[in-house]
Amino acid sequence: MSKGIIIFAQNNDYINYGKTACACAGFVRKNMSKFDEICLVTDEYTLKSDEKLINEYFDRVIVSESSQPANIRLFKDTSSTPEYASFRNMSRADVYELSPYDETLVIDGDYFIMNNVLDQVWGSENDFMINCQYRDVAGRHGGNVSYIDNFSIPMYWATVFYFKKSEYTEHLFTLINHIKYNFKYYYYLYNCSGNLFRNDFAFSMALHILNGGVEFKVPRLPIEYLNNSFDLDDIYRVNSHNDIIMFCATPESTEKHILTRFTNTDLHIMNKKAIARCVDDLLENGEKI
Amino acid sequence: MSNKKSNTEQQERLAQALDFSNTMKTFNLSKNNLKVKTQNLLSYSTAGGSFIVDQSLISFVHFVVTSGKTEIKILDKNSIPIHIEDTVKFLEEISSLYFEVTNDYYNEYQKLRSSRKIEKVLEI
Repeated sequence: MSKGIIIFAQNNDYINYGKTACACAGFVRKNMSKFDEICLVTDEYTLKSDEKLINEYFDRVIVSESSQPANIRLFKDTSSTPEYASFRNMSRADVYELSPYDETLVIDGDYFIMNNVLDQVWGSENDFMINCQYRDVAGRHGGNVSYIDNFSIPMYWATVFYFKKSEYTEHLFTLINHIKYNFKYYYYLYNCSGNLFRNDFAFSMALHILNGGVEFKVPRLPIEYLNNSFDLDDIYRVNSHNDIIMFCATPESTEKHILTRFTNTDLHIMNKKAIARCVDDLLENGEKI
Repeated sequence: MSNKKSNTEQQERLAQALDFSNTMKTFNLSKNNLKVKTQNLLSYSTAGGSFIVDQSLISFVHFVVTSGKTEIKILDKNSIPIHIEDTVKFLEEISSLYFEVTNDYYNEYQKLRSSRKIEKVLEI
């Protein structure tokens, strides 16, 4: 059974996602060991902009020019300088077709692996694993389960998920793709607000439909919680491949920050500009092929 | 005069208490992050199943081993039945993971609570 880790990255005017994905891959290689390959799914434009670097961090590159309607989102860099930019996140639904592996772990290009717990996914009995529980590292959000709307279904985080090729997962990704192309209808059906296509929502809806719309439990990843650092936080310093100090925005005032250190624990850093500022340190602390 | 003095004293004490709340904010955030890290690390996977390693799992498997059962079917954290072929080895591995992770948690927690200065805890 082949085992691969896939990271998606497509540059936009705001962020060099290709370089961020290299940093992320470096942390994967340094902290995990039981996979065969790390693979980047990207477009021609992103690949050309950093081809040498990408080839140093990824065992395989898949170029996918999947259709991408305009998807504009607000990017924040702490509480200052919010900026709108295009968000190319729709090729993730094609991962079932794109993945050359029997078992695949997909991680976001801003998810930094800092321990080896996710090595436990390989050889799982489950065809698909994803997490619903998360924790805001700054302690601003009290709950640990989000719903796609107050009166709707629980939200699963497509930040990290595992699948193996099977009938179940083939149907799941067929549904995710269908929702992707008709997401406005499904947003209406599931009482979702907003116009931004989100993989988290599409995955949650597809899981709900595929499981018959009745109460169900989607198998969880070996990690209990996703450690989410939202875009109001900032990186203070990268100490090593498993040690990062963050500025976490306080609940009462997002302009004030508390320093907190994260060691030996995965971290989803959503502030892309913060990653860009520290990307050289992140690359240096990761491991190349 | 003494009333004025006591007012000043009270204000100073209040200022100290509010200042301490800042220390506690940092302490609590770090403590919660340590707790979540520990929960994530207390995961053990074998034979296709994934288990949350806690005192009740260790106690149950200890009971299984002392009852003389060398292999069992057990529910994992996703309620999937998993066949454990060697219960003694399983007990050894989950116990050693539990002790290792909680020992690290203890050391980091002691470091956190014994220092009032965040600079010391973070080594900055």
